[in-house]
Amino acid sequence: MQSVVLSTKMLCKTFSNQGLQQHVLKNLNMDLYKGDFTIIMGSSGSGKSTLLYALSGMDKPTLGEIQFEGKEISKLSHDQLAVFRRNHCGFVFQQMHLLDNMNVLDNILTSGLLVKQDKKKIVQLAKELLQRVGLLEVSWNKYPSQLSGGEAQRVGIVRALINSPKIVFADEPTGALNSASSDSVLDIMTMVNDSGQSIVMVTHDVKTALRGNRIIYLRDGTICGDLRLDSYDAKDNQGRSEKLKAFLTEMGW
Amino acid sequence: MKITNLAIANIKHNKSATTSLFILIFLASMLLNLGITIITQMNTFYDDKVTKLRDAHASVVIDQANYDEKFDQYFSAYDGVSEVAVEQTLIMNSALFQYAGSDMSHGLTFLNMKTESLIAPLALIEQLDTVQENDIYLPYILKTSGGYQLGDTFSINYKDNNYTYRIAAFFESTMLGTNNMGLMKVYLTDSTYNILSQKLGGKESANLLSVILDDPSEAATLLADFKRDFPQLQTGEFNGYYWDSDINMVKTASSMTVNIIAMILVAFAAIIVLVSLIVIKFRVSMSIEDGMVNIGILQALGYTSNQIIASIIIQFLSITCIASILGVLSSYLANPLLGEVISSLTGLVWHASFNGLINILSVVLISLLVFVVTLFSTIRIKKMAVVASLRGGIHTHNFRKNFIPLDKTRGSIHLLLASKTLLANIKQNIMLVIIVIAITFASVFSIVLYYNIAKEKQAFIHMVGSETSNVIVISNYNEDELVQKLEGIERVEKVTILDVILTDIDGQSFYTQLSNDYSKLNNNTVYKGRAPQYDNEIALSWSVSQLLAKDIGDMVTVTAGQQSHSYLITGLSQSINYMGEFAAITLAGIEKHIPKYKPSTFHIYSDGVDNSKVIAAIQQSYGYTLDDIIDVDETLESQTGMYSSVVFLIMLIILITTMLVVILILYLVIKTIITKRKKEFGILKGIGYTTLQLMNQIAWSFVPIVIIGVVIGGLLGSLYTNKMLALLLSSVGIRSVNFIINYPVIIIFCVMITLLAYAVSMLIARKIKHISAYELITE
Repeated sequence: MQSVVLSTKMLCKTFSNQGLQQHVLKNLNMDLYKGDFTIIMGSSGSGKSTLLYALSGMDKPTLGEIQFEGKEISKLSHDQLAVFRRNHCGFVFQQMHLLDNMNVLDNILTSGLLVKQDKKKIVQLAKELLQRVGLLEVSWNKYPSQLSGGEAQRVGIVRALINSPKIVFADEPTGALNSASSDSVLDIMTMVNDSGQSIVMVTHDVKTALRGNRIIYLRDGTICGDLRLDSYDAKDNQGRSEKLKAFLTEMGW
Repeated sequence: MKITNLAIANIKHNKSATTSLFILIFLASMLLNLGITIITQMNTFYDDKVTKLRDAHASVVIDQANYDEKFDQYFSAYDGVSEVAVEQTLIMNSALFQYAGSDMSHGLTFLNMKTESLIAPLALIEQLDTVQENDIYLPYILKTSGGYQLGDTFSINYKDNNYTYRIAAFFESTMLGTNNMGLMKVYLTDSTYNILSQKLGGKESANLLSVILDDPSEAATLLADFKRDFPQLQTGEFNGYYWDSDINMVKTASSMTVNIIAMILVAFAAIIVLVSLIVIKFRVSMSIEDGMVNIGILQALGYTSNQIIASIIIQFLSITCIASILGVLSSYLANPLLGEVISSLTGLVWHASFNGLINILSVVLISLLVFVVTLFSTIRIKKMAVVASLRGGIHTHNFRKNFIPLDKTRGSIHLLLASKTLLANIKQNIMLVIIVIAITFASVFSIVLYYNIAKEKQAFIHMVGSETSNVIVISNYNEDELVQKLEGIERVEKVTILDVILTDIDGQSFYTQLSNDYSKLNNNTVYKGRAPQYDNEIALSWSVSQLLAKDIGDMVTVTAGQQSHSYLITGLSQSINYMGEFAAITLAGIEKHIPKYKPSTFHIYSDGVDNSKVIAAIQQSYGYTLDDIIDVDETLESQTGMYSSVVFLIMLIILITTMLVVILILYLVIKTIITKRKKEFGILKGIGYTTLQLMNQIAWSFVPIVIIGVVIGGLLGSLYTNKMLALLLSSVGIRSVNFIINYPVIIIFCVMITLLAYAVSMLIARKIKHISAYELITE
């Protein structure tokens, strides 16, 4: 029996624009489990990113509840949410969002030193993670504008992992990358998940979705499909792939 | 038209930056116009008043017993004199009355309203509707600075008799209308005048000689010639009353403080203009950096770099023009306040007139400076290639040194990030440091000024040239006997003689101090060399040394009492008194010229006991056989009182403007930073930084800048205020100023500015509070 990391109850998110209200998420009820690599899919405007940012405490829901390990986080203030994010969450963005005035190491330590007090340990961990994602030491003093897209995203992943978060949120992390870089980044994400890290990732790429073991499909702000898959196996994915394709066809993809 | 549209779009896009820049330029032009208006109008204002009031260019008061008809004949026959008038008057050479809440001992000359004089006729400003027997008409300065109102009682104590009058009117007068020339005139109704005349018993009767010249600047020469031709008026044997003054001396004494205030206002306005220019430079650079892509798009659309530069210049120039025109116009709103200040210092009614030329000059000057700075800041657009602009100027991007590597530097992450920001924005921080230095210097200057003029007045009084004894006795008694007796009075520590007579030095007339022992004086006016010790030594004021082209070690010939002797210059001295033109010799020196010279002014220094006790003891010994006994502390207090409020006002203006500038600059810079680094703050919020932590990071990245600025500004203010004052006062003969630098007050001020900067930074940085991390990143 898997334990629940995050759950939502009647989650709603509405945006107002010049008096017009747009209901992006509608009464969503869902549980996210520890160790899962959850993929959120859906067509454009279905509410994928909105759901991701609400789950991660980046944005507040309009109505409903979000519980993290049984504690409600949807009513927390912005600052309380910041503390929640730093202690429990990691983020990987499509546009990387590295601080362009800092080099690779400082980008990671800006996050790491915010939580951990032992500087030596955190610097050591940062270096280990950078090595793990294949970034050579020569790149550690480079600035974001000197990195390739794939390298920058790997820095983003290390930054997301530096505080050993309970859950990592990724918003189309391969969306801005070429094919080779995408594969490399996804391999890292898979490797991270294999070590027990919970991941929630938004994507509209089937190849990327195949990395997950659970696919949640959104349409017009509601969950219309939830698929369980076996864990990703680089050597044999035929069965998983067909199952996913059938699911997506059923969802109207 | 297209260019104007671009400029308008830029203004609309940067509303808050436009507003803060507008306020700065508004303030600068207001202060500048105010200062220039005072400086330019003060000169003609005084001359116009003299003409309008038909005031005397030279006045002499001589007691009846010593008066000779030859005197007015002399003036009538003098070349260049157009009018002479003689009026009977009553003299109280040391009348005691209340002035601005303190006792003032001052000379009063009483004129009869019935006597109609063609020179300096009574020019009333305000009067009561009813007339009473004991009405007195007072100079306007007794209202503006002395604190009296119409209908108030004016009480005079003279030789232990009280004289009480009702104030029926105030009048304007340049000559004899202020309390800084030793004698003021007042008017009494005919019957009251006669009653006073009877009470005083004839000894105080005198004649007031008023002279109008074709050329008023000749008045000092006329008086010098008069005293030279009638030497009996200042020999030791003369025991009557003599007083004289020329209009230029009165003008200098009255307008000096006003001119200094105007100069301070102009200097401060210059600082604000400098601050505005630095801010404009910053704003232009920022808008070029931020709008690089837009510039590229405009270039790609076919706009020339000149057109783009012109649009930026129009943007800043239009703000400047509107703000400076409004600032100049607003300076007229300050006129009533300014009029009060000038009236309290001069005793004259001031109506600042609209001076279009000066107003245009202020606007053009500021606009021209803004134009030049904007032009130089935008010139780099010319060198930008379209592709480079479209890429956001990436070709200019250089990978800066990583000043504070987080993995190797100790300290809190927040402090480290704040330090990174601080070091990454060197240009902007240099701008801030310069601004903070400038305004801190101006504030410290005003604090030192206030402290020394309104609180601890000794240094100011010494600079003016007054001796800070406790009591002065005026008497023609035998000096040795009198000094011995006065020194014998309980709690009297020392007694010194300090007289002033007119002498000729190398053919030119100068006031000359005489003392038996200069080392006994509290106020050593000699700033270079030493005071005279022997009968052949002389100290010249700096102005006199310049006029005569003499220095220490040179010889000069002094003529007094129709005898001439050579003197060795031993020192250079300074004082605002006598327009900075005076000399000092020893009593033994003057006795070579006038063997029977009798000194009359005796300065008494007590051990700190209340002056009234010393005065009582003197009166007990001498009764009223002495000519006068003056409480120096009370007199100085009442005379310097008017400066206190004026300097306080100046300090207040400077401190408030300083705070406003700090707030505006920080607002401008932090607002720009928040806009520019919105994404960065979003990322930091996203990874878990709280609003307060980010606010603190922003504030802490400014605190060291402000600290550096206030420390340098404070130090410069402490070290150079005296030098700056000496420069400002050099025109009135001051070469060295020794105002007390009150370090605790300055340190407290610097700490307060730093705290203000921190608080303001935190307040402005609160803008990021209500924006969620999601919005910040995705915006």
